[in-house]
Amino acid sequence: MKKYLLKFTGRSLLYHKKDYLNQAIIIAILAAIITGSLLTGDSVRESLKRNTNEKLGNTQLLISSGLRFFDSSVSERLMQKTRIKSTPILETDGYCQNFETGASVLDINIYGIKKDFFEFHGIDSIEIPEGTAAVNSELAKQLGIKKGDEIIIKFSDPDPIPRNAPFAPETNGEGSKVLKVSRILGPDLAGNFSLGISQLISRNIFMNLADLQQGKNSLFRVNRLLVANSEDISESSLNNILKDVLLISDIGLSVRKSAVTGETEIISDRIFIDSTLVRSILEEIKSGYPVLTYLANSLKTEKAETPYSFVSGISIDSGTVMGNNEIIISKWLAEDLKSVPGDEITLKWYHPVGNILEEREATFIIKSIAGNNGIFSDPSLMPEFPGISGSTSCSSWDAGIPILMSKIREKDENYWDKYRGTPKAFLSYENAKKLWGNSFGLATAIRFPKDTDSELIINSLKGKIEPSDAGITISNVRLSGEDAASQGVDFGTLFLSLGFFIILSCIILLSFSVSIFFDSKKDQVRTYYALGFSNRLIGRMLFTETAIISVAGSLAGVFSGYWVNVLIVKALNTVWTGAVQTNSIIPGFDSVAVVIGFISTIVISQLLVMMKLRSYLKRLGTDGKSGFRLNSSGGNLISLSAFSILAIIVTTASILSHDASVILSFSGGILLFIAFVLAIRQYYINDQKNLFSSSSRFYRFSGRFYSFYPSQAVAPVIFIAAGIFAIIITSSNRLTLTDEMYRNEGGTGGFLLWSESAIPVRQNLNSEAGIMEFGLNDPEFKDIEILQCPKLAGDDASCLNLNHIKTPPLIGIDPEEIVRRGSFSFAAVIEGLGEKNPWMLLEEKTDDDIIYGIADQTVLQWGLMIKTGDTLLFRSEKGKLLKIIICGGLKSSVFQGHLLIGDNNFRYYFPSVAGSSVFLFDGGNQDAEQLKSLLSDRFSNYGLSVETAADKLASFFIVTNTYLNVFTILGILGLILGVLGLGFMLIRNYDLRRKEFALLMATGFSTSRISKYILIDQIIILVWGIITGTVSAIFATLPSLKSSDGMSFYLIITMVLAIFLTGLVILYISVNKVKSTNLLIQLKKD
Amino acid sequence: MLRLENISKAFPQRGIVLDNLNLETGIGDSIAITGPSGSGKTTLMNIIGALDRPDSGDIKFKGNSILKLSPNELSGYRNRNIGFVFQDHLLLNHLTIKENVLLPLLAEKISEEEYSNFEKYCDTLMERVGISGLKDKFPFQVSGGEAQRATIVRALIRKPSLLLADEPTGSLDSKNAENLGRLLVELNREFKIALIIATHSEDMALRMALHLKLDEGKLKV
Repeated sequence: MKKYLLKFTGRSLLYHKKDYLNQAIIIAILAAIITGSLLTGDSVRESLKRNTNEKLGNTQLLISSGLRFFDSSVSERLMQKTRIKSTPILETDGYCQNFETGASVLDINIYGIKKDFFEFHGIDSIEIPEGTAAVNSELAKQLGIKKGDEIIIKFSDPDPIPRNAPFAPETNGEGSKVLKVSRILGPDLAGNFSLGISQLISRNIFMNLADLQQGKNSLFRVNRLLVANSEDISESSLNNILKDVLLISDIGLSVRKSAVTGETEIISDRIFIDSTLVRSILEEIKSGYPVLTYLANSLKTEKAETPYSFVSGISIDSGTVMGNNEIIISKWLAEDLKSVPGDEITLKWYHPVGNILEEREATFIIKSIAGNNGIFSDPSLMPEFPGISGSTSCSSWDAGIPILMSKIREKDENYWDKYRGTPKAFLSYENAKKLWGNSFGLATAIRFPKDTDSELIINSLKGKIEPSDAGITISNVRLSGEDAASQGVDFGTLFLSLGFFIILSCIILLSFSVSIFFDSKKDQVRTYYALGFSNRLIGRMLFTETAIISVAGSLAGVFSGYWVNVLIVKALNTVWTGAVQTNSIIPGFDSVAVVIGFISTIVISQLLVMMKLRSYLKRLGTDGKSGFRLNSSGGNLISLSAFSILAIIVTTASILSHDASVILSFSGGILLFIAFVLAIRQYYINDQKNLFSSSSRFYRFSGRFYSFYPSQAVAPVIFIAAGIFAIIITSSNRLTLTDEMYRNEGGTGGFLLWSESAIPVRQNLNSEAGIMEFGLNDPEFKDIEILQCPKLAGDDASCLNLNHIKTPPLIGIDPEEIVRRGSFSFAAVIEGLGEKNPWMLLEEKTDDDIIYGIADQTVLQWGLMIKTGDTLLFRSEKGKLLKIIICGGLKSSVFQGHLLIGDNNFRYYFPSVAGSSVFLFDGGNQDAEQLKSLLSDRFSNYGLSVETAADKLASFFIVTNTYLNVFTILGILGLILGVLGLGFMLIRNYDLRRKEFALLMATGFSTSRISKYILIDQIIILVWGIITGTVSAIFATLPSLKSSDGMSFYLIITMVLAIFLTGLVILYISVNKVKSTNLLIQLKKD
Repeated sequence: MLRLENISKAFPQRGIVLDNLNLETGIGDSIAITGPSGSGKTTLMNIIGALDRPDSGDIKFKGNSILKLSPNELSGYRNRNIGFVFQDHLLLNHLTIKENVLLPLLAEKISEEEYSNFEKYCDTLMERVGISGLKDKFPFQVSGGEAQRATIVRALIRKPSLLLADEPTGSLDSKNAENLGRLLVELNREFKIALIIATHSEDMALRMALHLKLDEGKLKV
C-alpha cells in the first residue's frame, strides 16, 4: 500500500513539475535568506574572533598594573618558574606626527617593547633599535609615511610618581621623541597588536623600551606583561606564581638606612605607599611603623610664621604619647616661632581635591620641643620628592604647589642648606594620616628598628605581597576577547529582522503558490475523495509531495544562502560599512547555521502547507454556494466617514502644531491608511449597483465580482500599502540632529564642543593658573565654560563597537556642574529614586566600595547588555573590586560608549589617572570652527582633538542609519518580491473565475479582451495599494520629510516606480500565462 | 446558412475524433447529435460554435469561411450569431438573472438606444420562458430549471441565427428536462432559429427534425 502511495506521489510530482518548481524556487529563496542571514551572523562573529586573535598574537594572559609600573625583570623570573613565554611591554598614550608633512594622528597606541616582543609572537627577524620605531600599516597609511621617514612621538611620560599626587613636580608629564621609521608592520608581523576589544584596527607605534624610559630609571619599568598561549596555566595559578616571584623592588619599593637613626626604612618611588601595601608589610614584619611626611605651607603662631616646612607623622617611642591636638616642634622652629610648650600652632597645607588644590588648616598645642637628635633630626624623613630633594635652594623647588617666593626668608634657605628637608614638627602618625592620608597612600615610609637587616626585610616580604595590593591584575585577554566577539552584536538575528519583508513576501508567495497548486489538483483530489480516500490519507499524500519539494527547495536554498552571505558581507565591508565600522569581515561557512536554516525553512514551509491543507480538505465536501453573500456597504460607510473625519482633523492638527507634530502626523497617517482601505472596500462593495447604468459597462462588470469578494481586492491593496507604509515610516526614522539635541537637556548637554586629549591635561582650566597657562583669558575665549573630566581607558561600548563590552572607559564627571546646567536627560533611572536627581548619586560611596554610575541607555542596552539597577564590576587601581550600580540611562548623548562616575570617586579609585582627557566647551555664541582651531592650537602639545558636540553625537547615528538603509533596501527588495504575489493572485483569481471567463468567451468576448479585463483589475489593485501606502506614509512622516532628514522623495519615487513596474511586468507575464490555458473544458459540468 | 466541410480533429491522447465530417444547416432547422461518451459531440459543438478550430476542413457561415477571421472577429461572430446553452447553466453568481441574460451585450459596443431595445427584448424573452419574476434574483437564489431557462434567454438575447445546446438537460430532473426540451423546440419554431443539440437523451433527439449519430468521427443518419 505504502509502495503504491509513494509511486502515486512520484508520478504526481513528475506530472505537476512546473507547479512544484514555483514552490521549490520560493522555498529556496526563503532558505537562502534565512541561511544567508545566519551565516552573516556567524561570519561577523568569526571575523571578530579572528580579529581578536590577530591582535593578541600569542598572548593568552595579561598581567597589568594599569597606570602603575613594575620591573620588566618579572618577566624573566616568571618564565623561569613557569616555562611559559612572556614579554614585558610599556603601553602609553600619545600621538604622533609625520616630521616632514606635519600630518598627525591623535588616537594611537604606543608600545615600548624589548627585543623579545616579536619573538614572543613567533616572529624572529624583527628588532627595534633605539632611536627607531616600527609602525603598523594602518598608522603608516594615515600618517603618509614610509620606511626611513621620521616621526615625532609625544607620549605620557611613564613616571612612577602619579602626576596628580601631592608635590609631584609640575614639569613631569609629557615626553617626546623624534624617531626614524625602521619598519612598517603588517598584520602578519604583529603590527595590529592590541589588548583592547574592538573590531577597529588600532594605530600602533612600537619603540624600544629604552627610548620610552627616557633614561630616567635604571630599571626598565613596564605596565603590561604578556603571557603566552598555554593550557597549563590559569589566572589564579599565574597569580600565585607571580606572588612568589614578586620582589618589593619590582613594584617600586626600596629599602634604605637612615644615617641619623640607623633605622631601616621602605620607601616608594611613588612617594606615597598604598594603604594595602602598608598593611601587608606591617602584617609580615610587625616591628615596623609607618611614617607620613607632608609639606606644610605655613606653621603659624600668634607671634610668627614659618613658611614651607616638612612635618612628619611618626610613632613616638613608648612613654611619649601625643594626643589628637598635640604637636612636637623642633628647637629651630620653636625659636623661629618664639613658642613654648602649651602654645597654639596652626598648620596650613594643600590637599588635592580632584584636580584642585585646597588649602586646609588645623591648630595644635605644642606638647614639647624636640632636641636636635634622633628621629627629630633625620632629613631622610622627607620623601624623595623629585622636584625638591635635589634642589639647591628653597626658591628652586618644583613642589607641584604654588610657592610664594616672597615668603621664603634667608633663614629658611639656610635651614635648607644645613638640614635639607628635616621636618620641623611632628604629629602622631594617626593624626597625620587623618590630615594628609590620600588616595595615593597613607605613608611615605615604613620604618624598622635600628640595625634591621635590609636583606631580611626584602626576603621576608618575598612571596608575601599580593599582586593586587600593588594594583597588578591578571586577566585572560584571549578568552575575554573571544567572549566579547561571541556575545557581540548578533548580525544573524539582525539580518533576519532586516530581511523581514523578504521573508514575509516568500511566505505570502508560498501561500499563494500552494493554494493555486491545491486548486489545480482539485480534480485529482475529488477523485480520491469520491473513491473513498479519507481526508487524512489525501492530506498525507499531498503533504508528502510538498514535503519532498520543501526538502529540495530548502537544500538548494541553504547552499545559495552562502552566496547571500557573501553578498551581505561584501556590502557590510563597503556600502554598509557604517554598521560594522570595518572592512575586515570575511564570509564564512558554518554547518550549524546551514542546518538551522534548512530545518527552519522546512518547518515554516510545511507549517504553511499544513494550514493550507487543513482548510483545503475542509472545503472539499462543502457546497460552493455557501460562500456567496451580499455585502452591506452601510457599516463600511459609517466607518469610512468616521476615519476620514478623524484623519483630516489629526493631520490638520499635525500641520498646525509644532511640538506634537511627529506623533500627530504618525496618527494622522495611520488614520488615513485605514480610511483609504475602507474607501477602497466601499468602492468595490458599491459595484452592486446597476451594471448597465453607465457607458463603461464592461469595467463595472469587472468590479461586480469584487462586490461579492471585496477581500480579493482589499487584501492585496493592504499588503502592498502596508509594505510601502512600513518602509517609508521606518526609513524616515533616521537619526538626525534636532533642535532639542542642542539644548542643555539634549544629547549635547548644551555644550558646543567635545574634545579629547591624547595626553592628559594636568591643569585645572577653570583655575587662574590654568587660564593663564593656556591663554584662555584672551577675548576669543570670552564667556567660554569648560567641563573637564579624567578618563580611564577601556573598551568603547558605543554602537560603533560590535563586541560585547564589559569594561567601558570610565569618565569622572562633576555631577553638580551637570545639575547646575541642567544638561542631558534620562531615558531610565534606577527604581526607588523618588525625587532625587540620579546625578547626585554619583558622588555617593559606601564603605564596601559600591558607587553609582550613569551611561547612555543605548550603551546599557546594546553595548553592556544591562539595565539600570544592575551592577558593573571594575578593579580599582589598588586592585580592589569596585561595584558600580547603574543609576541612570541617558537619552542619546555625547557620552555614548563611556560610563560616568563622580569625579571625586574617580580620583579616589583611580588616583594615578593624571589630569583630564575629556573636555566639554560651552562657547555661548562663539563660532565653533574658529574655537576648534584656537583650542587645537593652544593644546597642541596634548594632541587635543576637537569636534562639535553635535558632530560627536551625530557620529553615533551612523550605525542606526545604516541599519535603516539596509532595512529600506531589503524592504524594497522584499516588497518587489511580494509584488510577484500579484501574479499568483491574478492566476488564482483567474482559476476562481475560470467558468466565468469561459462563458464570456462563449458569448463573444475575445481572449485578449478577457485578458485586458483581468489585467486592468489587478493594475487597479496595484495602483490602489501604492497610493494608499505612499500617501498615508507621506502624511505620517510629514515632519521628517519637511526637514529633509527622513527618507528622500527620490527614494520614495524610485521605490514606487520599482514596485509599479515590477507589478506591471509580473501581471503581464501572468496574463499571458492564463491566456494560453484552455477554457473550453470549463464549459462542461464538473 | 452554416456549412461544415470535411472537418477533421484529432487529439494526442484520443486520436482522431472528427474525421472528414460534413454538416449543413439552414434557418429554422433542428438537429440532434447523439453518440456515446467520447465520440466527439462536444468537440463538434465547440467547432460549430467557433470556440475551437478544426485541424482541417472549413466552416462557412452564410457562404463565408469563419476560419479566416481574426480572434477578435471570431468573438464578434460568436456574439452576434451563436447562442450557447451548456449542461451547466454557467450563470455568474455575482450577477442578477437579468444581468446574466444581458451579459453578451457587454462584449461589443452598442448604443443606448440599442441597449434599451435589448432590455425590452430581454423582458419579453423572460416572460416567454416563464422567469420574469426572477430578474433581480441571483443565480444561487433560483432552482436548476429556472437557471437553465435563464441560460436559454441569455443565448437568445443577441437574436442569433444558431442555437447550440450541449447536453442542456444533463443536470436536470426528468420533468425539468422534458419542459426544457419542449421549450427549445418551441423557440426554434417561434424564432426561426437553427438549433443543434448534442444529447444522450433519445427523447430529446426525437423532438428534433433531424437526428444524426456521431460515430467514428462521422455523422450518420
